[in-house]
Amino acid sequence: MWKGGGRMKSECSSVSKLLDKYFDQEVTPEERSLVEGHLPDCSACRMALDSMQNLRILIKNPVEEAVGKENFPWVWEKIEKGIQRKERLGLWDFLKSWLDVTPLLKRKILIPAVAAAVILILITAPLLYKKISSYPVQSVVEYVESETYNVMVYELETPQVTVIWLFEGLEEESSTS
Amino acid sequence: MRRKASFFVILVLLLSPFFGAVAFAQVQVRVRAMEASNVGSGFDSSLRDLHDQLGSLFSFSSYRLLKDETVSLSPNQSVSLSIPPERSLELTLINQHRVTAEVRVKITRGGRELLTTLVRLAPGRSVSIGGPKRGEGTIIIALSRMQ
Repeated sequence: MWKGGGRMKSECSSVSKLLDKYFDQEVTPEERSLVEGHLPDCSACRMALDSMQNLRILIKNPVEEAVGKENFPWVWEKIEKGIQRKERLGLWDFLKSWLDVTPLLKRKILIPAVAAAVILILITAPLLYKKISSYPVQSVVEYVESETYNVMVYELETPQVTVIWLFEGLEEESSTS
Repeated sequence: MRRKASFFVILVLLLSPFFGAVAFAQVQVRVRAMEASNVGSGFDSSLRDLHDQLGSLFSFSSYRLLKDETVSLSPNQSVSLSIPPERSLELTLINQHRVTAEVRVKITRGGRELLTTLVRLAPGRSVSIGGPKRGEGTIIIALSRMQ
């Protein structure tokens, strides 16, 4: 009796593990025959199987009812609108989504690109600024200094001529004489 | 390998403005000293390109070349050459742009500064400094930037 009770207990625990699969009809023929051979003798396993069936009925009926009431064309229309909205992404959103594909790609491209652009701007900006600001509309002679001569600067556009003419002063005359 | 190549490309791009600056660092300036006078007539063949410029400004009948020298100017380095009568001409490249070169010109005699000026030389446009007397004539120094 004790021996039979022990065998019954171990069979029950192994069958109870199979009950879910049996209920979903996913058992092998051997497992099926084991479960069906055990059920007539085990009220606990029968009750467990009954509760599974009751639960399925409880869930299935409201779901079927809801599906019957649901307006699927309307749902599909909403999905289509959502897809179209996603397709109309702006350029920045597009770039963002492209770079967000993988964080590795983002780090590999974005950071060096931004760093290179910043360095390039820092290097070229002063040079460009200097060239643009100082090149046009300047006279040929920037300055003339002389303590010895009186100086005249003459610039002509056609032909392009610039002359710095020195008129000898007293000091120069005295030093030459 | 690919990473090295991209690093090299970025480095070249970053340094390219400096390569450009180095390539244009030297400026060639032609210095011609001449004696203009009304004694006799004649125009030195080496001054032919200045004929129109000189003729539009002065009424000398004779232009005689005394010195013709081309100097290479490096930034902030002075080049000196002697100019008759007993003068010294010092040229210093101060700055340069795409077309123009800013050159400081100093004329001295016996270590004494007679004139200091800063001129912008561009190809096709010469700058002449004239006035000092030499005998019957007048000295004119023409500075022009070579192409």
